[in-house]
Amino acid sequence: MSKWLIPVLTSGALLAGCATNPHGSIPVVESGSSITEEQEGGPVYQAQAPAAGPAVQALPEDSGVVVMVPQQSSSRIYPAGETPLSGTVDAQPATSSGIVPGPVTDGSSSYAPSSSYSPPGHDGSSSYTPPVASAPSGIPQSGSLAADEQLDGPVLALLTTAQQQQGSGDLNGAASSLERAQRIAPREPQVLYRLAEVRLAQGDAAQAEQVAQRALTYAGGRPTLQASLWELIAQARERQGNAAGAAQARERARVSL
Amino acid sequence: MTRSRSPRSSRSRGRRGSSGIGRWLGWALKLGLVGLVLLAGFAVYLDAVVQEKFSGKRWTIPAKVYARPLELFVGQKLSKEDFLTELDALGYRRESAASGPGAVALAGNQVELHTRGFQFYEGAEPAQRIRVRFSGDYVAGLSQANGAELAVARLEPLLIGGLYPAHNEDRILIQLDQVPPYLVETLLAVEDRDFYKHHGVSLKSIVRALWVNTTSGQVRQGGSTLTQQLVKNFYLSNERSLVRKLNEAMMAVLLELHYDKQEILEAYLNEVFLGQDGNRAVHGFGLASQYFFSQPLAELKLHQVALLVGMVKGPTYYNPRRYPERALARRNLVLDMLAEQGVVSAEVAASAKQQPLGVSQRGSLANSSYPAFLDLVKRQLRQDYREEDLTEEGLRIFTSFDPILQSKAEAALAQTFKSMAGRKGIEQVEAAMVVTNPETGEIQAMIGSRQPRFAGFNRALDAVRPIGSLVKPAVYLTALERPSQYTLTSWLVDEPFSVKGQDGQVWRPQNYDRRAHGTIYLYQGLANSYNLSTAKLGLEVGVPTVLKTLERLGVSRSWPAFPSMLLGAGALTPVEVATMYQTIANGGFNTPLRAIRNVLTADGQPLKRYPFQVQQRFDPGAIYLVQTAMQRVMSEGTGRSVYNQLPRSLNLAGKTGTSNDSRDSWFAGFSQDLLAVVWMGRDDNGPTPLTGATGALQVWTGFMRRADPLPLNMPMPDNVVMAWVDAATGQGSAAGCPNAVQMPYIRGSEPAPGPACGQTPADTVMDWVRGWLN
Repeated sequence: MSKWLIPVLTSGALLAGCATNPHGSIPVVESGSSITEEQEGGPVYQAQAPAAGPAVQALPEDSGVVVMVPQQSSSRIYPAGETPLSGTVDAQPATSSGIVPGPVTDGSSSYAPSSSYSPPGHDGSSSYTPPVASAPSGIPQSGSLAADEQLDGPVLALLTTAQQQQGSGDLNGAASSLERAQRIAPREPQVLYRLAEVRLAQGDAAQAEQVAQRALTYAGGRPTLQASLWELIAQARERQGNAAGAAQARERARVSL
Repeated sequence: MTRSRSPRSSRSRGRRGSSGIGRWLGWALKLGLVGLVLLAGFAVYLDAVVQEKFSGKRWTIPAKVYARPLELFVGQKLSKEDFLTELDALGYRRESAASGPGAVALAGNQVELHTRGFQFYEGAEPAQRIRVRFSGDYVAGLSQANGAELAVARLEPLLIGGLYPAHNEDRILIQLDQVPPYLVETLLAVEDRDFYKHHGVSLKSIVRALWVNTTSGQVRQGGSTLTQQLVKNFYLSNERSLVRKLNEAMMAVLLELHYDKQEILEAYLNEVFLGQDGNRAVHGFGLASQYFFSQPLAELKLHQVALLVGMVKGPTYYNPRRYPERALARRNLVLDMLAEQGVVSAEVAASAKQQPLGVSQRGSLANSSYPAFLDLVKRQLRQDYREEDLTEEGLRIFTSFDPILQSKAEAALAQTFKSMAGRKGIEQVEAAMVVTNPETGEIQAMIGSRQPRFAGFNRALDAVRPIGSLVKPAVYLTALERPSQYTLTSWLVDEPFSVKGQDGQVWRPQNYDRRAHGTIYLYQGLANSYNLSTAKLGLEVGVPTVLKTLERLGVSRSWPAFPSMLLGAGALTPVEVATMYQTIANGGFNTPLRAIRNVLTADGQPLKRYPFQVQQRFDPGAIYLVQTAMQRVMSEGTGRSVYNQLPRSLNLAGKTGTSNDSRDSWFAGFSQDLLAVVWMGRDDNGPTPLTGATGALQVWTGFMRRADPLPLNMPMPDNVVMAWVDAATGQGSAAGCPNAVQMPYIRGSEPAPGPACGQTPADTVMDWVRGWLN
């Protein structure tokens, strides 16, 4: 039906269009004119080649550096980057420093981590059922975290959110919420512990181990949490095929309690 | 295009032809038929054009870059003043009660506000009414307006920029249900009164325009409908010709055939050009509202709506920032029209006319550019995305940028330059600064030029300059990793010496004051930045080992193992220095610096995350000792002027750096929660009148004074013990002995404890006094 309508209407439109006034319609872009103050009057530098690109984000992941971690009895080799520093590779405990890690507690308690504790979501599947938010005690749901770990409002709220996200399979969301909690309480080892858990669930065992190590430096005087962290490190090492390191971490977990 | 002319003429002739001669009629008929067929063909073509562009994705949207959202929670360090600065930047209106989104009400130490809500990577933040109570510089209370407890809330993030291709349009897409009251009414009243009655073109408005223009003797009113205006901007070039006008009219009619009025209106609201910001063209009312008022469109009041609608006629001519008088007159004319046409009452119009323009100021927090930080963000994004994805897909980039810290850094820099005004050669001195959070590795502020607003050479990322004494912590860290050989109280000899380098040249380091300082404690070499003792120590542990330490700290430059490297002959950019010091500040854990947190798609779906990553590179015990020595830099060494401005209780660690002939003035240092690196120097690498202490440290101090950081407090690692030593001899001592001071040692490296003195120093003094009296 519009077959005949189109030419008729267009013709009408043409007639009308002829008469329209060009003014008052939408002005078009005037790219040449600048109205910003900041464009004016300043020296314009020729940017150098972005040589610092790598320094910003593309920092080498690691340099094959070996670090003697004081809390553990063996040094570890980080995944080597493109420039391994062979000179520092040292598979034995650093003898020059003679650092003897002091036991945190007497280790007399009979703690069996492997039986009572299993971090959620190892295979990234949905087999892990999230705790419902109604749990009044807050986040610590993974068995080994004791109720003595007091957390205040914002961190507790965000850990709860993260737990729900993790439970629904949204590991990225959970990690993101945990980093939000980390910004609020950067020295709260429980936040880092949860973050390490999520990293492990995401399949990044190396980062899980590192984040847990960072958490340990903040977990002084909290033996229960230390044990959980060592247990998590043990699992992360197992995932990386480091059975001996895992066994050592388990030993540390037992000593911590 | 000439084709379209013939049908009109033939057709008009055809109408007259009934009274003409048969032969003419025949010709006219034939011509008319041909013309009609041609016209129909052209109309079908135009129809396809109209539909194709209108039905698909109508606009490409540049990626938008956001600052960090301000988090609110009890115990947060945040002054009320900074909070209100942020709210102002976000365009919150001060009202007597927080009535709706974007409103804030002040009552003493309590701030009540209605947040706007925002879609974040972690999920949606609801719009809600909240109360924030301040005590000192802390948030002391946070609750919902109904009194319910609130653990944490966050504001919407400040938009700090976008990724625009050269000469591009930018817009914030809005929907019709998001427009404020009066916007549509005002637009129609001013631009197209018969919008809902016509079919794309309006004879009535053309006649009216003709009448107005002829009677007034000047072009005052246009006859184009909104649909024609939309078509013109959407499909056609800027050419002004009759042919183009015909085209425009045909397409307007076609557009109206296929799409309803609401759809056309919405497209118009998003398409219309409303201003020019450098290379960026501001399109649509959504972006115009943010650009001119720093507010979401939905929150605009009548007088603001009238201004924007009035600007449609000539965005450059009526630019309210550049020509406020013209803009005001135009706005008030629009308000008068509204009253005339009965859209608003005369009283409402009159009261709106009393309002100021209300345009946000350029250079305020709400309306500033941060070229250095955005440069960093763009470099990262360009590694991960194609250019067209960044400029067309409307991605939302969430960064760690803190506009409040940025403004404090800029203020510190400006004030330092101001206080140095008049010093010889100072006008040529440039500067750069990087501010990070040492515990998360996030970059929070960045300055790439003495003029922070100028885009161009980004010195924070690209100025590769010798770091001078900034390298020294790496020398001492290398030594302190060997506790059986070195402790903080090991003796060092600060005497002249020379070594022959591999190239046969003799290297003779000198102290800055050209004097030797004899036998000193190891930590004093770092605190006072002595070159002789530091170079000697570095040669003892080995230059290659020190370079490896630097690499572990995060410096990825392959420097030759020359002895001069021990005193900072190697060159780094400010952001590389930040990476290096980050590892020290963060307990020996290296964290790649990050500027981007995550990315959402245009419709709020998670796209990418830039996760926190950490890697242990050093024994925390050795780092603890280096931090202790770096605190001595501030308390008694080259950085001590910092405590002229800051309280002694504020524990800080840092290091000055000055390259040869004072060509580079550096300072890098950190508190618990802030790390800042400052560089000052000349682009032509000429000498400056500044050392690290007199130049960069002053900026650093000014920044820290404004930022009010948390005192440095690294948890003492398990393998560190505190031991009493005699401050004069470095021998083991005991609490209460004269000259006894506490120093940290790696367990096992502390001196054997001295015998207990059995009395406090005060007792000793009393004994002495007693003996004198007797």
